[in-house]
Amino acid sequence: MRFDTITIGGGLSGLVTGISLAKKGQKCLIVSSGQSALHFFSGSFELYGNEGNPLDAIAKLEDSHPYSKLGVEKIKTLATEVKTFFSEMNIPLVGSVEQNHYRVTPLGLLKPAWLTMEEYAKVDDPKHMPWKKVIVLNIEGFLDFHTSFVASGLAKQGVECSVAAISLPELERIRKNPTEMRATNIAKVLVNETLEHLAKEINAVAKDVEAILMPTVVGLLDKESVSILKQKVQKPLHFIATLPPSVPGIRTQIMLRKRFQELGGIYMLGDTVLKGEIVGDKLQSIQTNNHGDLKFEADHFVLATGSFFSHGIVASPNQVYEPILGLDVDFNGARSEWYDRDLFKPQPYMKFGVATDKNFRVKKEGKTLLNMYAVGAVLSGFNAIKEGCGAGVSILTSLNVAQEILK
Amino acid sequence: MGENKRNHFDVIVIGGGITGAGTARDCALRGLKTLLVERSDLTTGATGRNHGLLHSGARYAVTDQESATECIKENMILRKVARHCVEETDGLFITLPEDDLSFQNTFIDACTRAGIRAEAIDPEEAKRLEPSVNKTLIGAVRVPDGSVDPFRLTTANALDARLHGAEVLTYHEVIDFIKDGKRVVGVKLLNNRTKETVEIFAYITINAGGIWGHRIAAMAGATVNMFPAKGALLIFGHRVNNLVLNRCRKPADADILVPGDTICVIGTTSSRVPYEEIDNMQVTPEEVDLLLREGEKLAPCLANTRILRAYAGVRPLVAADNDPSGRSISRGIVCLDHETRDDIPGFITITGGKLMTYRLMAEWATDLACKKLGNTKKCQTAEICLPGSESEQEEGSEKNNKNYSVPKPNIGSRAAEGRHGTRSKKISADNRYDRSLVCECEEVSIGEVNYAIEELRVHNLINLRRRTRVGMGTCQGELCACRAAGLLSKANGCAEKAQEDLADFLNERWHGMYPVAWNETLCETQFTSWIYEGVCGLDLFAEQK
Amino acid sequence: MEQNKDDKSFEQCIKCTVCTVYCPVTAVNPEYPGPKQAGPDGERYRLKNPYFYDDSLDFCLNCKRCEVACPSNVKIGDIIQSARLKYSKKKPKLRDYMLANTDIMGSLATTFAPLVNASLKLSPVKSLMDQVLSIDHRRTFPAYSGQKFETWFKKNAVGKQNNFNKYVSYFHGCYANYNYPKLGKDFVKILNAIGYGVRLLEKEKCCGVALIANGMAAQAKEQAEINMASARKAVQSGTPVLTTSSTCTFTMRDEYPHLLQVDNTDVRDNIMLATKFIFELVDSGKVKLSFKKEYQKRIAYHTPCHMEKLGWAIYSTSLLQMIPGIDFIMLDSQCCGIAGTYGFKKENYPYSQKIGEPLFKQIQGLNVDLVATDCETCKWQIEMSTGVTVENPISILADALDVEETERLNK
Repeated sequence: MRFDTITIGGGLSGLVTGISLAKKGQKCLIVSSGQSALHFFSGSFELYGNEGNPLDAIAKLEDSHPYSKLGVEKIKTLATEVKTFFSEMNIPLVGSVEQNHYRVTPLGLLKPAWLTMEEYAKVDDPKHMPWKKVIVLNIEGFLDFHTSFVASGLAKQGVECSVAAISLPELERIRKNPTEMRATNIAKVLVNETLEHLAKEINAVAKDVEAILMPTVVGLLDKESVSILKQKVQKPLHFIATLPPSVPGIRTQIMLRKRFQELGGIYMLGDTVLKGEIVGDKLQSIQTNNHGDLKFEADHFVLATGSFFSHGIVASPNQVYEPILGLDVDFNGARSEWYDRDLFKPQPYMKFGVATDKNFRVKKEGKTLLNMYAVGAVLSGFNAIKEGCGAGVSILTSLNVAQEILK
Repeated sequence: MGENKRNHFDVIVIGGGITGAGTARDCALRGLKTLLVERSDLTTGATGRNHGLLHSGARYAVTDQESATECIKENMILRKVARHCVEETDGLFITLPEDDLSFQNTFIDACTRAGIRAEAIDPEEAKRLEPSVNKTLIGAVRVPDGSVDPFRLTTANALDARLHGAEVLTYHEVIDFIKDGKRVVGVKLLNNRTKETVEIFAYITINAGGIWGHRIAAMAGATVNMFPAKGALLIFGHRVNNLVLNRCRKPADADILVPGDTICVIGTTSSRVPYEEIDNMQVTPEEVDLLLREGEKLAPCLANTRILRAYAGVRPLVAADNDPSGRSISRGIVCLDHETRDDIPGFITITGGKLMTYRLMAEWATDLACKKLGNTKKCQTAEICLPGSESEQEEGSEKNNKNYSVPKPNIGSRAAEGRHGTRSKKISADNRYDRSLVCECEEVSIGEVNYAIEELRVHNLINLRRRTRVGMGTCQGELCACRAAGLLSKANGCAEKAQEDLADFLNERWHGMYPVAWNETLCETQFTSWIYEGVCGLDLFAEQK
Repeated sequence: MEQNKDDKSFEQCIKCTVCTVYCPVTAVNPEYPGPKQAGPDGERYRLKNPYFYDDSLDFCLNCKRCEVACPSNVKIGDIIQSARLKYSKKKPKLRDYMLANTDIMGSLATTFAPLVNASLKLSPVKSLMDQVLSIDHRRTFPAYSGQKFETWFKKNAVGKQNNFNKYVSYFHGCYANYNYPKLGKDFVKILNAIGYGVRLLEKEKCCGVALIANGMAAQAKEQAEINMASARKAVQSGTPVLTTSSTCTFTMRDEYPHLLQVDNTDVRDNIMLATKFIFELVDSGKVKLSFKKEYQKRIAYHTPCHMEKLGWAIYSTSLLQMIPGIDFIMLDSQCCGIAGTYGFKKENYPYSQKIGEPLFKQIQGLNVDLVATDCETCKWQIEMSTGVTVENPISILADALDVEETERLNK
């Protein structure tokens, strides 16, 4: 089967690449081995996690950083397109390229962010908190969100917080199950007329406050439920991320995939690319687990397989490798060098990833593959968590590679 | 006098390991007014850092008959009095082609002499009994080994001591002895949580500090030379074996694989470490490689079994000679009466020995204390069951019911029953909230967490882990740590402290994970970091601190 | 039996909870522990002691949507089904026996088809089945055909098949044989038109999916061995084994080895859905299809769970989209709730319907002429629950095919 571009990996990077290419009329295939890391989404995309203007910090990065390969000007241009890109699929985002704002974390801490989903709690300046008095709500018995953590964090910023738990008879059914009181399962219940009941309960406790903060347990399949609830409660309502699974993250994944398929893209979920055929300095075709001998051929290939978590790269006791094609990987030698003993210090392994040239083309045995690019978390040279740049690298390298392919 | 009475005990026991907890229990059972003090949490030393092997004694039979005899006796006692802490799995001593098969006869003879049932079985039979065993084995001997959960055992001893009037102070460190002339009459304690100090008095002070007993004795003016021998072990993600696997040869590195609860443990290495390092044990890549290499010889499937963590303990052996390996030293019990030995009345040290013989060690130390105090009550710890093991477990329990395809209690309570025995009845499952699972890997419910907080001296998440297995499963806290922290925050009314705990807990988990962080273990760690640092921003919190 | 690496896929679980999001049962039935707890989490406890096995695992549909979603390649559905076969002590009821033995029941019913069909529609009969057998009375039974496909083939088709120089073997399955021989006839029509003669397998038994689901592993294994022996002969003689049911295909390819320990490595790649076979021929230019200009229909495709797991919907849908007169709609891939015999059982009926509800609503909102799907039980469920006619893509292709032109193009 022949395509213009085949993307391996169907998460944020893979879909941004696929959508960008399909928009320009390319025939695209995405092969995704299971669901993506968007399922653990915080609600914000980060460009760079410093205070103030992220571009200032980006300008100072080492040459090996993916951002340095793009350059500040390119980053600025690409980043400006992102809001429109997502609003086209009904994912409205707020924020600016040149000034970070802050997201309220489930621990009540403020973390720098670039673009945040509209319904989330967001702070522009910690010195001037947007609220003086809020109520933090939870669903009774929901263990993946703790009002006391949020309240204690916000109290440090001078916000007066009260807390309350809400129970609804509609939720009793899932509560029977000792493990399945999860954000997504709650969101499956909190739809249609149940939203009305929820709003009533919220209104009953949320008096005398400026805003209501609650976990993201509404709006799994579409944004509709969020809008309805916002209309029905009498105070401004803002959401805070929960522990996994992430309701808005899954919705984002669904919307992106839908958009890709509407543009004619083919998305194969639950299939694993096993091998590829390289002729000269080009990848000719790939073969997958589900389709046996059938070869998927394309002019261009994009590797968007993620980091260790998504098995884009794999660590064995003595080496780190790229499992599909055995591409070149940047990593430190001995495994004693992969870690810091303090979990909260920068971990060297986080920067491991496939090696690429300045145009993000991958290498095998030192030789560049001319028609294969890598994007997102599989790239080497950055620590997505410590630097706060995971989403930025994913989105921007994907947009950039799509442009390269279309050249 | 009122103040004095509250601060005056018959006996102070120093050390919250199994020896200290067992001694405190024995003292309390004999009617002594007892205080157990521990500088950190219960089971933080060697007690919580070993195989959890319920030795039959077979391992020592050839080299140390005395230890072997003690082991089998205590083994049989623990099966009775600590039923809920013990799994009666049996064990195999296997001979591989590289081993000398003639050792088998020597081994069986020695076992028989020590009173240990040891029966040579056909290798085919061994493979049938234990499918994970190395298929190339040429001989096997079946012995009454088993596994014992040292956390549960210590918790139950400390709990029973309290139920009999003893006081237990964790996070209280002995910083000095109070003397009246040569006599030890009390201790000065530093509360490691509040940093306050307090003086406590007693007629007798028993040093049960394990490897740290060396320093404690020195503080009292006595010299007890202990031999710090490090032993590293690996925990695998699930039970690959249901019988304990040993090598039928002279004891060596990494030749015991013990199934315990949902996991199994291979160990140990043995190396001499300087005293300065005993508080900071790290497992080296070389040790991990050695454990894996040798472990695969017992059960080849370990080669592709997920490793959850690595850890190391320090054997509290009393140095007797200069053997660098530490293995030819007798595991014999050392009970020192410092009054006769060093002219320090009121001070006793109990050391040497091993997890298996803790009860006997406690008995010796308590006998000596009783003698000095003129108490004539007999030791009853070999007969009275520990709390949780009191009576035969009911029909439908994990141990007694093999007809498993029947309606049974919900998942949380059936696992809790294994952990707390008959005490699990105290765990609330009255409402749906209490039945919800906090830790899904180890099936720990809200009810169990609350029970542990209320009844088992839980101050932080790491304490909670030791009492319940929260965070000890496959994900090492990724899913449950935040949930448990939330519950602690609710119970203690302090969100900030719970968040600090959360950071400490995750870091403590990481210390066991980084030596084996590849494959799934690395995926898990990266995922954990995404959640707790990326989504939650816990690193910001750790930095602020 | 020694555990191989695959059996330990539960260890690859990093507890990310993604599977729980996509489990259709968890969403409607709180008695079901959910794929994570029933699968990888529970497996560690079952290895410790079979006491921890729980009969609520029977609520698993075996739809494998958890596996498709899992980012860590954990065979969640397989773990659950293996545990059921290994630990369940429940004896199959008469009802389970009847539902599971699709070919015995089929043979009996085909012989007395008019009588059986009529009586299966009668409410006293349904009520009796409900009360005595716990087969839900609200369930519409598939009708049985008066003449088996095999009988038709031997009488009417077998002679013609010798006029070809390329052949395929056809595993028709119980549904085409007993309930809907037209599907088999359509298959023969298309294959003949593109230049392939059709042979039946030397001996064909029900693939056993229903036996597995009802805990009758020993019988399923016997049947699997017979099927694999026949398939082996066919493959050795150079013909692939084609099917028209996604579930039979999935069972023979992917459930035999790990659930029944029946080795299929030498034939697995040659057992495939007819749509895959045909698509690959068309895609590589070896075969050309021509369709009737007058065939005009609005058709929505439903991806059966096992088709989702196989990843093969692309073949059926690509073929359908080649028909010029089709207004094609891809439905969201979600479980219809029937899961073979699962939805027939009284204890599962309400959950079954609740699971399928979003799909039914979507179909009813589309105003289509037909729903296309590769699974017969999905067909029954969707027809019963929406009133919309459901056809196998092979039947739709056969109806739309310009046979003469196609034959000419492939001469």
